[in-house]
Amino acid sequence: MGFLRFAGFSVVRAWQGFWRNAMMSLAATATVVLMLSLLAALFIIISGLNSGLEFIESKVGVTVRLADDLPEIGRELIIRDAEALPGVATVTYVSPEEALERLREAYRAAGQELDTGGANIKLYSSLEITLTDASAGSSVAAALAEHDGVERILTKQDEYDALLGIINVIRTAGIVVVGLVGITVLFMIINTIRIAVFSRAPEIEIMRLVGASDSFIRWPFILEGVLCGLIGSLVTIVAVAAIWGPIQPIMVSVFQMPIAVSSQFLATLSLVLLATGLGLGALGSWISVRSYLAATT
Amino acid sequence: MPSLLRKPARPPDADAPVISMVDVGVTYPNGKVALSDVNVALAAGDFAFLVGPSGAGKSTFIRLLIREQRATAGTVTVAGRDLGRMRRGAVPGLRRRIGTVFQDFRLLPAKTVAENVAFALEVTGAPRATIRERVPRLLSLVGLDRHSGHLPSQLSGGEQQRTAIARALVHDPAILIADEPTGNLDPVTSWEIIQLLIGINDLGTTVLMATHNQEIVNAMRRRVLALEGGRLVRDEDAAAYEREY
Ligand SMILES: Nc1ncnc2c1ncn2[C@@H]1O[C@H](COP(=O)(O)OP(=O)(O)OP(=O)(O)O)[C@@H](O)[C@H]1O
Ligand SMILES: [Mg+2]
Repeated sequence: MGFLRFAGFSVVRAWQGFWRNAMMSLAATATVVLMLSLLAALFIIISGLNSGLEFIESKVGVTVRLADDLPEIGRELIIRDAEALPGVATVTYVSPEEALERLREAYRAAGQELDTGGANIKLYSSLEITLTDASAGSSVAAALAEHDGVERILTKQDEYDALLGIINVIRTAGIVVVGLVGITVLFMIINTIRIAVFSRAPEIEIMRLVGASDSFIRWPFILEGVLCGLIGSLVTIVAVAAIWGPIQPIMVSVFQMPIAVSSQFLATLSLVLLATGLGLGALGSWISVRSYLAATT
Repeated sequence: MPSLLRKPARPPDADAPVISMVDVGVTYPNGKVALSDVNVALAAGDFAFLVGPSGAGKSTFIRLLIREQRATAGTVTVAGRDLGRMRRGAVPGLRRRIGTVFQDFRLLPAKTVAENVAFALEVTGAPRATIRERVPRLLSLVGLDRHSGHLPSQLSGGEQQRTAIARALVHDPAILIADEPTGNLDPVTSWEIIQLLIGINDLGTTVLMATHNQEIVNAMRRRVLALEGGRLVRDEDAAAYEREY
């Protein structure tokens, strides 16, 4: 009962305090919305790029073209060496006949029939190597290039490395920008609550005089800051949900991101936004209350 | 029934002073000595005036009792607790045992009389039922029944001070401390406020009132503590005080 009264008192006073200096509170809330919008954009882009990376990772492998005149014993040697290399998962031999069959399949899939014009075309034989670690592609390729009987080596390593580089740059830049805006938000909230504390100075004096405990004096202000964070994150969540419709297909097709289809993704994002908003609000008002209410008794 | 076997209710330390100062001194950080070597004791139910010229240390004396500041020397004890050793967290509990009234009333201008009194209960977590029951009772005790819905700006100085007194009594304090409560009031109104404080004292509350008003002090025939330059120069009952002035 006592706690409910305390909680009720604090929430009501926080709400009154929020609207008492509405201009300041709304400005602080607006900065929360700005910051969380940036955070949401960063979260969406990084998630998209990450799943693009995973997609490429699953495709990254090393294809080794073998010389036509390589004897079977030489091939077996290369296979054994390849299997022993770090980062290699499987090594599969693709014979010229199989390669031709695959080509036929590919044509059929496209609705055509492979027409060799009667010629007896002969394709390369090759080894298809899958990796346990996508970043091992270059070293595997380098090691196998030294073998005689290896004609050419193909990897998707360059694409993978390029995408990884882009992700790292965006992630770093994004974290810096969101961090800087986050600091601005923190200052806005600290300032808003500081003004709220000053505007309630006569009440605080009387509260102290009549024996109100510190928690009755402090918590309304902390909750007032939390309220800025709460309203800011709810506004951002509603906005993100509203524009999610057009974004979703892009995420799926451009970034190869099947997870974007599920409602789970939006739920996770909302949770991140809510936690960040509430956390910033609480932290800012806590700092303010500590520095402007601590000294006096 | 076990209760029949018990002695009448009587706190174990009923004779111990409710306020006591032993060798108390206050030196402000700027070196100003506001109180020195003050020794005084007030028993439960006492009524005392605290007098002295401006700057004698009356307000400092009062701020010590509500632990708005600490003595830099000696020991201050209120309601059995050593204020020098009191933790910060225990101060609100102390303040609920002491009602305080000031010259400038310190009412919240946007709240009505009843709301000002209720505020002191709300911020200390009192249940709604307690607030509903206690506020009208206190307002009628101080004679403000008909003004409960008025704002402080719609009241006379005396009525504002009555509101402040009602607020000071919300926790049924053992002690009521007033720092120049009549300082802003005309003589007639001052007398009414004094009568009210006497009435509260008659109900068992210890009352300490700092004042400049010589006339009131002389007429009331109560105990007088006189400060001068931070020293307690006199602690006498009214008869002795009158003989000398
Ligand atoms: N915070 C402070 N810092 C330094 N000196 C102070 C402080 N507060 C009070 N004083 C000094 O201490 C002395 C006692 O002040 P106090 O306010 O207790 O006097 P008083 O008896 O209440 O006076 P008055 O009748 O004018 O209200 C004065 O000389 C005053 O200037
Ligand atoms: Mg004074």
